[in-house]
Amino acid sequence: MALLEVDGIVAGYVTGIDILNGLRLRVEPGTITGIIGPNGAGKSTLLKTIFGFLHPRQGSIVFDGRALQRLSPHTIKRLGISYAPQGTNIFPHLTVQENLQLGAWVFRRRRPQVTECLERAYSAFPRLREKRRWRATALSGGEAKMLSVAKEHITHPSLLLVDEPSAGLAPRVAQQVYAQLLQARAQGVTILLVDQNISKAVEISDYLYMLEMGQVRHEGPRQAFTDHLRTLIRDALLGV
Amino acid sequence: MPSFLRRLGWWLLVYIGLAWLPWVLSGYHTHVLTTSFYYVILAIGWHLLAGYTGQFSLAHHTFAGVGAYTSALLVQYAGVPLLIGIGAGVLCAAGLGYGLGTLCLRIRAIYLALATWAFAESIRLLITVEYQITRGDLGLRTPLFFRTPRPTPYYYLFLGLALVAIWVAWELVHSRIGTYLRAIRDDEEAAATMGIDTFKWKRFTFAVSAIFAAVAGGFQGHYVGLLSPTPMKFNEMAMIVIMVIVGGLRTFPGPIVGAIFIELLSEFLRAWGELRMVLFALLVMVVARGYPGGLVGLCQAAAQRLAGWSPALGLLLTPRRLEE
Repeated sequence: MALLEVDGIVAGYVTGIDILNGLRLRVEPGTITGIIGPNGAGKSTLLKTIFGFLHPRQGSIVFDGRALQRLSPHTIKRLGISYAPQGTNIFPHLTVQENLQLGAWVFRRRRPQVTECLERAYSAFPRLREKRRWRATALSGGEAKMLSVAKEHITHPSLLLVDEPSAGLAPRVAQQVYAQLLQARAQGVTILLVDQNISKAVEISDYLYMLEMGQVRHEGPRQAFTDHLRTLIRDALLGV
Repeated sequence: MPSFLRRLGWWLLVYIGLAWLPWVLSGYHTHVLTTSFYYVILAIGWHLLAGYTGQFSLAHHTFAGVGAYTSALLVQYAGVPLLIGIGAGVLCAAGLGYGLGTLCLRIRAIYLALATWAFAESIRLLITVEYQITRGDLGLRTPLFFRTPRPTPYYYLFLGLALVAIWVAWELVHSRIGTYLRAIRDDEEAAATMGIDTFKWKRFTFAVSAIFAAVAGGFQGHYVGLLSPTPMKFNEMAMIVIMVIVGGLRTFPGPIVGAIFIELLSEFLRAWGELRMVLFALLVMVVARGYPGGLVGLCQAAAQRLAGWSPALGLLLTPRRLEE
């Protein structure tokens, strides 16, 4: 059974203008599912709708047997879904430690467990331990991204929604972020990835959807996409 | 909770440390200090909402008025004891604050300021217009809390209330909830992606800050002995904003320092009349432009400079976490 099933959703920001038009997709557990498509296809809107920032006008979203389409983000988070929006998802005026605690507190009010979660995050990212009393504004771009990832790490999501993980990052840092995603999959986290970087998305995803005008234009396993990569990129760029 | 008891001990020490003042001061000066404690409670409450949660409400003074009028009217018409009247005022303000917070959940920044301002003006006009009940601009007499207009007992009362308010705010800000509030201020959407129920905590803070205001207003009403809608005018809100900004927005001691400083300055310059507001407005502009940390920020900078000269002095002067 699929971990996440999106069926026929219609959603948009303003009444009368639908960004998603009856979109349907499935995310199998333990896989990375990639979503590609031209600008304005509705990729980010899809993630926001799954995470409850937008409520679909029609259709259903089912996660692990539970309907999500009427829930709000904080409830969805508690069900085990994490959402990493574009850019860095950190609170600049909080210290590094407070940023991490925020992730842990929402789930576990008990102090020893929170401390244990923090320890785990610090051993995975030793740089963050050194700077734990610093304001997050004082971090470099790469460190900030590390903190964003560590913050998601701490909450143990079963499904991670990632929007444009490499946007605005130096290629070397982007490489590290993709390595993090692969590592998360190896630990059993299911990932739904939205990416402008088509060749990278095709490289790390197990199954892909190509969106256009709020609908699925193509779908298939990685193999089917690698064969037509060149055509896909041209189509996506030209938006035909 | 030994650390809890230790902090309680510290607050008692502060209380005792300030308790001798009325013995050496004149009645007038005691009154001025009492009033500045009243403003400390108001400023701290508003700062929880505006400084920590980033909700720039302009209705804080209204909740003080709601607390005062609810109590005064209940005492007058229903004959309830003063403390019960004040309690009812606090409950009423908390409910209204929660309601206002609910109305303003999706309103941000300047629109939030406008909406809360409209709310404040509506309540003030309601009280002015319903003069058969509230006596409007004629003023509503209220029984005195200690049956005497002498300021000394009220000094002890408001000193205690102010210390409790500071303490409650401190515990709140340094708890899990305090981090949630600052996260909401930094980025509301990101806070929601962290699983924080942003609506719940915004409403909570609106209600809590209304409670602070209503406690202060309720007791103040039974100190001055005469209520009128005048302190519910925008001037009063402006004073609270000025106090917090001059003291230091987003620093914990800012509202305390600012409230006492501005109230003392305002009394000192009483002869200037309305011209004081011009001076305060200029002060706010200078602070906002040049010293965003306000008086507290200035002191911290000075302490750090001193620490550069003498590390031992610096250790004494820079406590662990003054900021936020």
